[in-house]
Amino acid sequence: MTGEYRLPPSSGERVDRSRSVRFTFEGREFEGFAGDTVASALAANGVSTLSRSFKYRRPRGIFSLADRDTNALVQLPGEPNVPAAVREIEDGMEVLGQNYAGSLERDRGAWIGLFSRFLPVGFYYKAFYRPSGAWQRWEPVFRARAGLGAVDPAARPARFDKKYGYHDAVVVGAGPAGLAAAAAAAAAGADVLLVDDQPAPGGTLTHARFGVDRAPQEERLRALVAAVEEAPNVEIATGAVCEGWFADDWLAVVQGRRLHKVRAKRTIVATGAMEQPVVFRNNDLPGIVLPSAAQRLIRHYGVRPGNRAVVVTAGRDGYAAALDLLDAGVDVAAIVDLRQHPDPSPEASAVAERRVRIIAGHTPSEARGHGRTGRVRALKVSPIAGTGRFGTGGETIACDLVCMSAGTMPAAQIACHAGARLVYDRTTSGLRVDRVPHGILVAGAANGRHGLEPTIADGRRAGRAAAAALGLEAEDAPAAPAGPGRVRNHAWPIFPHRRGKEFVDFDEDLTVRDLTDAVDEGYDDIELVKRYSTVGMGPSQGRHSATNALRIASGAGGGDRAEIGTTTVRPPVSGEKLGVLAGRSFEPVRLTPMHRRHVEAGARTLVAGDWLRPAFYGPETERDRLIEEEAAHVRAAVGLIDVSTLGGIEIRGPDAAAFLERMYTFAYRRQPVGRLRYVLMCDAAGTIVDDGVACRLGEEHFYVTATTGGADRVHREMLWHNAQWRLDVDIANVTAAWCGANVAGPLSRETLGRIAPEIDLSTEAFPYLGVREGRVADIPARLLRVGFVGELGYEIHVPAGFGEALWDRLMEAGAADGIRPFGVEAQRLLRLEKGHIIVGQDTDGLTTPMEAGMEWAVRRGKPFFVGGRALDVHDKTPLARKLAGFVLSDADAAPPEECCLVIRDGEIAGRVTSAMRSPHLGRVVGLAFLLPGDAEPGDRFEIRRSDGGAVSAEVAPLPFYDPDNARQEA
Amino acid sequence: MKILHCPLNGPRNISEFVCGGEVVEMPDPGAATDADWSDYVFGHENARGTVREWWFHVPTAYWFIAERDTGTDEILRTYPASEIFGRVPP
Amino acid sequence: MAEPASYARRSFVYRELAACGARFGGVAGAAVALDFGEPGTERQSLARLGLCDLSPLPRVGFKGPAALDWLRARRVLGLDRDNRADMQRGGALAARLAPTEALILGNLTGRGNLCGRLETALDADPEPGCYKVLRRDGSFHFLLGGMHAAETMATLCGVDLRARAFPAGSIAQTSVARMSMIVIAVSLGEIPAFHLLGDSASAAYAWGVLVDAMTGFDGKPVGLDAVRDALGNGAGPG
Repeated sequence: MTGEYRLPPSSGERVDRSRSVRFTFEGREFEGFAGDTVASALAANGVSTLSRSFKYRRPRGIFSLADRDTNALVQLPGEPNVPAAVREIEDGMEVLGQNYAGSLERDRGAWIGLFSRFLPVGFYYKAFYRPSGAWQRWEPVFRARAGLGAVDPAARPARFDKKYGYHDAVVVGAGPAGLAAAAAAAAAGADVLLVDDQPAPGGTLTHARFGVDRAPQEERLRALVAAVEEAPNVEIATGAVCEGWFADDWLAVVQGRRLHKVRAKRTIVATGAMEQPVVFRNNDLPGIVLPSAAQRLIRHYGVRPGNRAVVVTAGRDGYAAALDLLDAGVDVAAIVDLRQHPDPSPEASAVAERRVRIIAGHTPSEARGHGRTGRVRALKVSPIAGTGRFGTGGETIACDLVCMSAGTMPAAQIACHAGARLVYDRTTSGLRVDRVPHGILVAGAANGRHGLEPTIADGRRAGRAAAAALGLEAEDAPAAPAGPGRVRNHAWPIFPHRRGKEFVDFDEDLTVRDLTDAVDEGYDDIELVKRYSTVGMGPSQGRHSATNALRIASGAGGGDRAEIGTTTVRPPVSGEKLGVLAGRSFEPVRLTPMHRRHVEAGARTLVAGDWLRPAFYGPETERDRLIEEEAAHVRAAVGLIDVSTLGGIEIRGPDAAAFLERMYTFAYRRQPVGRLRYVLMCDAAGTIVDDGVACRLGEEHFYVTATTGGADRVHREMLWHNAQWRLDVDIANVTAAWCGANVAGPLSRETLGRIAPEIDLSTEAFPYLGVREGRVADIPARLLRVGFVGELGYEIHVPAGFGEALWDRLMEAGAADGIRPFGVEAQRLLRLEKGHIIVGQDTDGLTTPMEAGMEWAVRRGKPFFVGGRALDVHDKTPLARKLAGFVLSDADAAPPEECCLVIRDGEIAGRVTSAMRSPHLGRVVGLAFLLPGDAEPGDRFEIRRSDGGAVSAEVAPLPFYDPDNARQEA
Repeated sequence: MKILHCPLNGPRNISEFVCGGEVVEMPDPGAATDADWSDYVFGHENARGTVREWWFHVPTAYWFIAERDTGTDEILRTYPASEIFGRVPP
Repeated sequence: MAEPASYARRSFVYRELAACGARFGGVAGAAVALDFGEPGTERQSLARLGLCDLSPLPRVGFKGPAALDWLRARRVLGLDRDNRADMQRGGALAARLAPTEALILGNLTGRGNLCGRLETALDADPEPGCYKVLRRDGSFHFLLGGMHAAETMATLCGVDLRARAFPAGSIAQTSVARMSMIVIAVSLGEIPAFHLLGDSASAAYAWGVLVDAMTGFDGKPVGLDAVRDALGNGAGPG
C-alpha cells in the first residue's frame, strides 16, 4: 500500500509507480514509490506531522515543500537536519522526526509551549546572563533542549570534491524565465550553464497553474525545455543548488557531493518568488501550507494533499490553486479572499462555476487542530475590520487543509549576495529587488513579474541582454506581450489574536508579540530586530518571514517600510554540508630524494615546514637512547644526515656580491672564490629572520643556503628587494633542484675519499669553510666544508635526480668505517654542544644579532644592508636580554622544556630556548635568554619547569664542546 | 574568490598571490632620523582610497604593483615594478 | 628489464610506478616506465585518460636577461610571447615562461638532443646574463593525456584548461592542488594532453593527487611507449 492519498497517475509526475520503496518513520513502516521524497511519501500515507518546533515543541509538517523548511527537517542515521521535502526515500531508510523527547506525537517537552508567555524574545539571555558565568552553566541545558538534529560522531567519511567551471552566462533557476533566458543567451552564441535545484527543469510550470486550462502551459513547458535541451551550448545541471555569489562572479553550485566553483561572465537570477504566509493564531498547524506545496504534492508526486480545504488568498493565484485542488478530488470548502473587492478573473469565474464559496474581505483569525496529530481540523474566519484587525462574527469551517498565500517575495538571494537589496515597494505592497550590481541580471518572478507570458518575456530579455553585454548578437525576438504583469501583495496580512500564537517565523517560533516587543525595547533598526529576536536566522533564512517582519518592524516603530529596508542576505542559500566546503584535502608534502631510504632504515619522521625529515632511526620507545647513540657515533666515527631540506638559492650576475652585501649582515665583496661564509638575514626592524652559508662558486656566482622551510620566504624577500634595487643579478630558488647529505665525523674523510678520487680532501687542499665542485661517485657535486655539528665533515650537494644514488654510494663507501645515518634530533644535540643557534628556535620575532651574541656576523659601516639602520637605532638603547649557554647544576636532572621561564630573585628574567642532555659532558646543556647583567659565565639562576618545580643552572661559556674548533677544522 | 590580473600571467584567482603591503618609499638611511626610520618600518597609512600595493604571483615568483581602491576593493590597474623603480648604485 | 635503482639518476616516483606494475626500460641514463600492460590497452587508456611519468627525460631551463637572445642565436624557434610553447624542428618543445626565462622539453621519442647541446654550449662558453636552470632535477615532469584530461584538471586547478580557452601551445603557471605547476597544452596526434611540471620534492604528492583525481574517469597510469605511439614516429611532444 503506497498511501490512501495517492492519486491516479498523471503525466509529469516524478514517481515511478512500478517500483515501491519501503522505509520507516518513527519506527512505523511505510511504503512509497521510487522518486518520492520523505515528505511526499508520508503525505501519501496521511502523515502530516514531521517534526516539532524549535522552541515550543509544536507539531509541524510540510509548509512549502521546497528548500529547507525547519518544519520538515528530519533525522536519518548519522545525518541530522535532512530536508524531508528534498531527500528521496530509499529502501530500508530509517527516518525520525526532530526536536522531541519520547515520541513525536507525545513529546514530553511540549509543556514548554504552555509557558510561552513567560518566554519572551531575548528571554534566555536576559534571564541567564547574570551573574557572570551563569550562561556558561545553563547553555548546555538549553542546547540539549533546543534543536535541531543529532550528529553521529561515528558517521563514516564520504568522498566530496570540487570542480571549477567557466561559462559566459549562468542562469540560476530553470523555471519559465530561466528557460527562456538560457535559450535566448544560447541562441546568441553564449556558452550557458542552467542550474536548478529540482530533479527536472520547468520550475513553477511543473506544478503551478497559469490559467483555467492547464493544456497550454504544458505545451509551453515542453517547448521551453526542448529549446535548451537541443541547444548544444547549454549545459543543464538539475538537482544542483547555487548556494552563493562571491567576488568577481564566482558562483558556488552544489550538486550531490561536489562543489562546482563556477565563474560566470554574466549571472541571470531567475529563481522565482516565494509565497508569503498569512499571520493568524495557530497558523503553524500541520495541514496549513502554501498553495504551491499542495500543488507540488499533486503534480510531482500524485498525492492528494487533503480531503477538505480552505484556500486563503489575496490574488488570482489562490483561485488557480483551488482549481488544482478540485481537479485532485479535494473538496474546497471556501476561498477566503483578504481583499474586500477581488478583481474579476477567469480563474475566479471558473471557481465560482464549480460552486465554491468565496468569502471576500475576511481573514482566518484562528486555526484549531486535532489533539493527537495536531493537524488542522477547523479554521475560524472573521471579517477584516481594519489594518491588522478582525471583527466579530464570521464562521468556523471544518477542514483538514488550509492553503494560504498573501502574495510573494522575490527569491533573489543570489543577486543580494552580489550587492542588490530588497526594498519595500508601495505600488506592489511587497519587496522588490533594487540596486542590482553590474554583471547580474534578475528575471521573471524574481524580478517581480507575474503571469506566464510576462515572466517568459522577461527571461528572454535577460538572456538577450547578457549575450549583448558579452558582445554577442541576438537574433530578432518577438516583442514582449503587453502589460507589465506585476505582482501584487496584500499590504498587511497580519492579524494578532489576544491569545497569541500567530507565527511570523516558524523556524524560531516567533510571534507578532515577539517582534513588537523587540521594537518596543528600542531595537528599531531591522538589523537589530533580526539579531535580538533571531527572525530570519533559522534554516529557511527569512524566506517566509522577512516581508511580514519588515511590516511589523515598521508598523510598530512608526517608520516607513520603504526606508526601514531589509536585512543583509548572505550565502549559503540553503544548508551546506561541511564535506562540501572541505572537498578533497590538498596538503602538499615535500620529500627529499633520500626519504624512502630513511623510511626503509626505520626512521621516525618529523614535520619541518612542508617537509618530512628523519627524527631518528629506530623505534619510538628507544628515542632518547637512539638520539644519544647517533650523536655519539658522529663524534667517534662517521655519520650521515640528509640535508636536502636546506634552502638553496643561486645568485648569479655581475652584481651578485653587491646584492648579498645588501641582503645579509656580513661582508661578501672580498670573499674568495672557493670559500663559503656565514649569512645572517635581518628584516627591516633588525630582527634575525634566517641564516645559512654563501658559497662563492665564481666571481659572479654565489650558492646560498637558507633554513629548512625558510627558502621560499627568503627567495620572495630577495626578489621583492631586487624589484626595487634592480641590481643585475638573477635570483633562482633551487631548493628542490639540489639535494644534499652531510657526512660528518672523524672518519668522514676516509669514507668520502673512497668515492671522490678526483677531489683532494686533505686539510691543506680543502680546508674548513672551503667549497669545491667535482664528482662524487661519478655524480656532479658541490662539496662544502661546514661545521654545524662540530666535527670534520663534508656537505655534498648534488642534483636531486641523483640524490638517492648519492645516499646509497655514501652508505656503501662508509660501511668499512661503520657509517650510520643520524636524524634531525641528533643534529640538534650536536649543534647545541657547539653553541650554534637555530633561527626560530633560539630566536624569536624580536631577536637582534646583538641579543643573540652574533655581532661578529654584522659588518657595520657597509653603505646599506636590510635591517642595518634599525640596528643603529637599537644600539642607542641598552640590551634588553642576551642569549647565553647554561648547564644544569644537578648532573642527573632531566632537561627543562623549551620556553621554561628563567627566575632570578623571584622575578621572571628570561626563558630557555634549547636544552638537551649532552652525552659528551654528561650534563644537561642549553641556551637561554637572560638579563644582560646576569649572563656572564658562573652566574647562577633558576629555571621553573613545566610541572612547577625548579632546577638550578649556571651560565657556561660557549661552545660546550671543542672550544678551539680543532675537530671541525681537522 | 577575487580575480587579480597579473601583468605576466593574466587573470588568476587571488589565492595564487601573496600581498606584500603598500608601496612605501624608503627614506635615505643616512639622512633619516631615528623617528623617521621607525615610522617607515612600523607606520602604515592604511588610508581609504587608491593605494599602490605589492603583489607576488607565487607560481612564477613575480612581484608587481597593483593599484587598489581600499574603499571598494576594486583593483584599478596592475603593472610591473620597473615602471616606478630604477637601479640603485650597487 | 631495467631496474630503476641500477641508475644514478632516478625518477622521483619510481616506487609509485613500480607499485602500479610498471615495466621499466633504460632511456637517457635512467629507468623510464615504458608500459603497465598490453600496448592496445595502454593506447586506449591514454586516449581516455592516462598519466605518464616523464621525469627522467632531458629538459633544461635558461634564465637571465640574455637567456632568450642566447637561445634565439642557437636557432630555438618561437619564444616571442610569454606563456607560449613552440615546437622545434627536432621535436623538442621550447616554452617561454617570462621575458627572462625559457624551458626546453626534449623530444620524447628519444631522437634529437637539443637539451644536451644547449647545456654543453653554455657550459663551454658561458654567456653573461644567461643562466642554466636544472629543470630535470628541480621539477617533476608528468603528462596527463586523453579526452578527460581537461575535466580532470578542472577538479584541481582554477584556470580554464578546456581546449577552446587553452589550445595547444598555451602555458599556465598556476596552482594545481595547492602546489605551483607549469601546465603546457599539447596534442599527441589526436589526443589532447598537458605537460605538468612542478616542485620535484612534491612529486609523490602530485602523482597521488592526479591518480586520485583520475578515478572519476577511470584514468590509468600509462607508459612512455603509449605516448610515443600517439606521437607517431619522429614527431615531438606537441
